[in-house]
Amino acid sequence: MSAALELGINAFKEQIDGPVVAFFSSCVRCGLCSQACLFYTETGDPERTPIHKLEPMRRVWQQEYTFWGRLGKALGLSRPVSDAELAEWEPLVYDSCTLCGRCSMVCPVGNDIAYMLRKMREGMAAAGHAPEGLVGATKRAVTLGSPMGVKLPALQTQIRHVEQDLGFKIPVDVAGADYMLLLSSMEIMNFPEFIRAVARIFKHAGVSWTIASEAFEATNSGVQIGVSDIAAELVERIVAAAARLKVKYVISPECGHAYMAIRWEGPNLIGRPYDFKVLHIMELLDQLREAGRLRTTGREVRSLTYHDPCQVARRGGVVQQPRNLLKMIANDFVEMPETGTMNWCCGAGGGVSSNERADGLRLQVFKRKKQQLEAIRPDALVTACSNCRIYLEEGLDEYGMELPVLSLTETLAEHLVDKG
Amino acid sequence: MTTITNDREFRVALDSLDAKRQRLVATRFVESVLPLCTDGRIARAVRVAADPDADYSALTEALRVAKATTLDCHTRCGAEGDWLEQAGYFVARAAVAALTPRCQMPGGMAWQAAMSSRMAQTSKAIVSGEETAGQESEAQYQILAEFLNA
Amino acid sequence: MTETELLMWVRGPLLQAALSIFLLGVVVRLLEVALLGRKPDYAEARGSAVGGGIRTLITRFFPDPGTWQRSTFTVVAGYLFHIGFFIALFLFAPHILIFRDALGIRWPALPTPMVDAATLVTLITLLALLLHQLYDKVRRFLSRFQDYLVWLLTMLPLLTGYLAFHRIGLPPTTLIIMHILSVELLLVVFPFTHLMHAFTLFMARYYNGAIAGYRGVNS
Repeated sequence: MSAALELGINAFKEQIDGPVVAFFSSCVRCGLCSQACLFYTETGDPERTPIHKLEPMRRVWQQEYTFWGRLGKALGLSRPVSDAELAEWEPLVYDSCTLCGRCSMVCPVGNDIAYMLRKMREGMAAAGHAPEGLVGATKRAVTLGSPMGVKLPALQTQIRHVEQDLGFKIPVDVAGADYMLLLSSMEIMNFPEFIRAVARIFKHAGVSWTIASEAFEATNSGVQIGVSDIAAELVERIVAAAARLKVKYVISPECGHAYMAIRWEGPNLIGRPYDFKVLHIMELLDQLREAGRLRTTGREVRSLTYHDPCQVARRGGVVQQPRNLLKMIANDFVEMPETGTMNWCCGAGGGVSSNERADGLRLQVFKRKKQQLEAIRPDALVTACSNCRIYLEEGLDEYGMELPVLSLTETLAEHLVDKG
Repeated sequence: MTTITNDREFRVALDSLDAKRQRLVATRFVESVLPLCTDGRIARAVRVAADPDADYSALTEALRVAKATTLDCHTRCGAEGDWLEQAGYFVARAAVAALTPRCQMPGGMAWQAAMSSRMAQTSKAIVSGEETAGQESEAQYQILAEFLNA
Repeated sequence: MTETELLMWVRGPLLQAALSIFLLGVVVRLLEVALLGRKPDYAEARGSAVGGGIRTLITRFFPDPGTWQRSTFTVVAGYLFHIGFFIALFLFAPHILIFRDALGIRWPALPTPMVDAATLVTLITLLALLLHQLYDKVRRFLSRFQDYLVWLLTMLPLLTGYLAFHRIGLPPTTLIIMHILSVELLLVVFPFTHLMHAFTLFMARYYNGAIAGYRGVNS
């Protein structure tokens, strides 16, 4: 066995816990997970059945953790997982899965397949079978502080320009602020209007906040590729900055996996609880709304629908808040068929959009979201994840659909009573 | 004689324009930063947008092309970003805003075009290191004032 | 050995042996889950893990509307099979007597004609499930040797029991012997196949619901 393969198999073994054993033990091959997965429904390829994506890890479980499996292995009767198999599985694990977790919601025996697939990526990455795009992003995240190479001076320049326009300062490195805002590189590069919108809302609501120059990056590539050590290091940077600035809350911006990484995985990656709380920007905005600190005016005439980013809603628990916020400013809010925690993935999360090899497949599976939209024909689509946003735009463009895609935060900012 | 000195006045003045005039002034914002975009499709789209007599189908086609260009130009999630190329992306977004029908951008197409144009300039500043905060905004106030006074 | 002696042996020592293997196997498989356990969760809880776990234990009995719509056959056949099997195993008077002798508790039986009808429906459903397994592209792709074996081992007790009850084909004693042998075969193979889901699914559903409930999601 090569060294890399051995690392991979060991990583699989390490990742196998009680839940994983319960899940593998319970799978009766009913195939219901396939009809919940957009990578199956839009391609009809049985290899994309969620539980099948886990097959190499299942074999490791069987051979290392079950009586019969261990006996078979000792007698030389079992077929060990090979490097070639891991290579074969790479597109199933990384191109054909966004960790959206819809499969986990429908399995009749209760298997949390997305939970397992996240763990499987640890073995795949250790064995050297992760996509190029993700490997590059992760390297940049570690060495430059951002998977997209966004360095502090770039952010500072943007901040200065926004300050000039708004006529007030954006707090950076303010010790004792209540909230420390993280930003995803996707936002900084592709949707920097978010910074302006957030600054205006926070000023309006009188929020005590800051950005940390040493830890402004929200995206955690370690979580997407499946290298917990790197994921932990990226979280530690945020934790250190939060401690240095003595903030009470860390705010995760409009990004899906960033929220999952900092809110739910983070403390477990670093092996201890935080000294601060984590909120998704929508959670904070909804709290402000409830406290009457968000005063909006005017209502959207057009009909709006909401796309639930999978890591925020189904896997993260922030479901009702965006709806509360939208109802403040919408006259006509319409839910997608199969919505909330059962909404369909945009097809681009979990590292899929970083993976050029997956482009064709990603556009193909967008048809599922297209179907949802065609059923309700809204005038605009709102979401709270910049990755979803741009890849929803791309999908819509691919299929010739005219539909503006909006950020929830930016849309709210547009309706603030103090126009800026 | 109208003068604009801050964003509040800027926005109010823009919002008071009808859809066609918003398109025309937005186009001027885009033209101000057009050199930052190397994709010829945007230059052509801007020419259509600048034509006061452009018909519906020409505008729709130009919008479609501008949108496609935006998607081609954006930095892929996790890919190494290049701020000069991002400048081109923002110019494309500004062109999209200029060509978008009012119903799809109730917040104001010209305002959005202005914002995106500023971001294009900011992207360039990130690369050049020059201190240009507020310069594009000032230029836009000037452009709008001239447009209103014409 | 006479047939009666064979029957006594099959009903007695052989059944004891089969049950022992079954119980030992099941316990080992359950321990495999429990001993590995789960690392503690250091993230701040939004909801209740225990509450979520218990909820999902129950709600997974009821598929979501999308699953109903897209996989109607699997859902309906799944219900029919499991309910029918449950009725045949646990609500048939002669079986309840066996349980009483073994465990000291008894419960009401369903009228035998109903059990009989349920068994027939279950057998037909099983046949349909096999055909589905052979022709449905996903199920065919996923099924391994053990998944077909398990079908056979599940079908045999139902079939032989039905035949024994109706005294079809062979002398009653022979049919009973075959029935009990088929049950014993099922018992000894059970812990080494996906049939373990009968026990582990409660753990799987609980873990699923607990993980989601901790985050404030009803899964």
